[in-house]
Amino acid sequence: MSQLQVNRINDASGGVLAPISSVMRNRIINGAMVIDQRNAGASVTATNNTYCLDRWNMNSSVGGSYYTVQQNAGSVTPPVGFTNYLGVTSVNTISVSGTDSFTINQRIEGFNLADLGWGTANAKTITLSAWVRSSLTGTFGGAISNAALDRSYPFSYSIPVANTWTQISVTIAGDTTGTWSATNTTGMFVWFGLGVGSTFSGTAGAWAGAGYRSATGATSVVGTNGATFYITGVQLEVGTQATSFEYRQYGTELALCQRYFEKSYNQGTALGTNTFLGAYTFGGSSEGNGNSIVPISYSVKRVAPTLTGYLSAGTSGSWNYERSGTSGTGTITFDQTSDRESRAYIAVGANWVVTFVYGHWTASAEL
Amino acid sequence: MYKLIKDPYTNEITGVRTSNGACIPFDPANTDYQTFKKDLADGAELQDAEGNVIDGIAYLEELV
Repeated sequence: MSQLQVNRINDASGGVLAPISSVMRNRIINGAMVIDQRNAGASVTATNNTYCLDRWNMNSSVGGSYYTVQQNAGSVTPPVGFTNYLGVTSVNTISVSGTDSFTINQRIEGFNLADLGWGTANAKTITLSAWVRSSLTGTFGGAISNAALDRSYPFSYSIPVANTWTQISVTIAGDTTGTWSATNTTGMFVWFGLGVGSTFSGTAGAWAGAGYRSATGATSVVGTNGATFYITGVQLEVGTQATSFEYRQYGTELALCQRYFEKSYNQGTALGTNTFLGAYTFGGSSEGNGNSIVPISYSVKRVAPTLTGYLSAGTSGSWNYERSGTSGTGTITFDQTSDRESRAYIAVGANWVVTFVYGHWTASAEL
Repeated sequence: MYKLIKDPYTNEITGVRTSNGACIPFDPANTDYQTFKKDLADGAELQDAEGNVIDGIAYLEELV
């Protein structure tokens, strides 16, 4: 039997195609910014350590409103082959210093990085690539780091032309030291700086025993009111070259996201929306303790998730109930929560023979 | 403000409820649980399942 042995395959224009054996090579989830379960395309003001588009976390260490994030903010044309991007807009002006930190970041689960062998002599080289665009020009920064934030590799990249998509690529030799999780906890942070003070900025292109989030001297997006920073096509893969973006089927990408966050609402409906669509409805009775009990099931999560109930009208913490012609709302509490199901109690009043309860829920097992 | 969640059938404390109604299970790898413990250490108010304010620092020591 003959064998074909090649290092890579180029497409007709010279671009590098993925190795034949490489499936699910992109360790970034929602790198094409297609999934936005929480906000369904609406703009959200960044607060520290909260999520915007699925898997993408906003880091805004200073109290106040400094930037917003919206899927397809500004409605510019995405790069060829993409339909969505994550759009950051500065809504204030701040001169960053010290421990100030404004970033977009993704935390990659250790299970999805275990083969990299980081923290060992066999650590593999990775390449991070993305399409970026800004109203500003200059050198921008980012970093990767471990969960303990005691190992990091700052990187820099250039956006030479304003309001024009630029493809960037950074190759990083694997870290042979440090602790890198290979389990269901955070294995790696991938940071894109929007304005990071000196405490969290380091020399680009070198490993450091620190928790850097950007490169020293990088452009500050939050330093200019109205400045924009858009990003899509984020890919992190093993190897020394950026290959073509691995565009996964929508259902696959959504399922990957739902390991970390899931909701009862329609995919196109933001959390807290006043709607019956998707609201869970259960009939039953209440016991002497005044609760109607409802089972809640979801796709298997990274860990037992934090669960939140919503009235059909949108307010969190309660569900609606009906009993003998009377409508009301009752506190919803989830307990005995596992990584795939939970038990909800809705306070409807004691000893009602027939009740039915309804409302929405979210399950969050984010890193 | 946090309030402990008690299983009404076993009386087991299974998690904690936040002021906006989010229910956090006591899973060490749940990042909200990690935040809860940090908040307790920073002095956040903790109530038992009946709504009585209890010593959060002492409770944290029980969890550790």
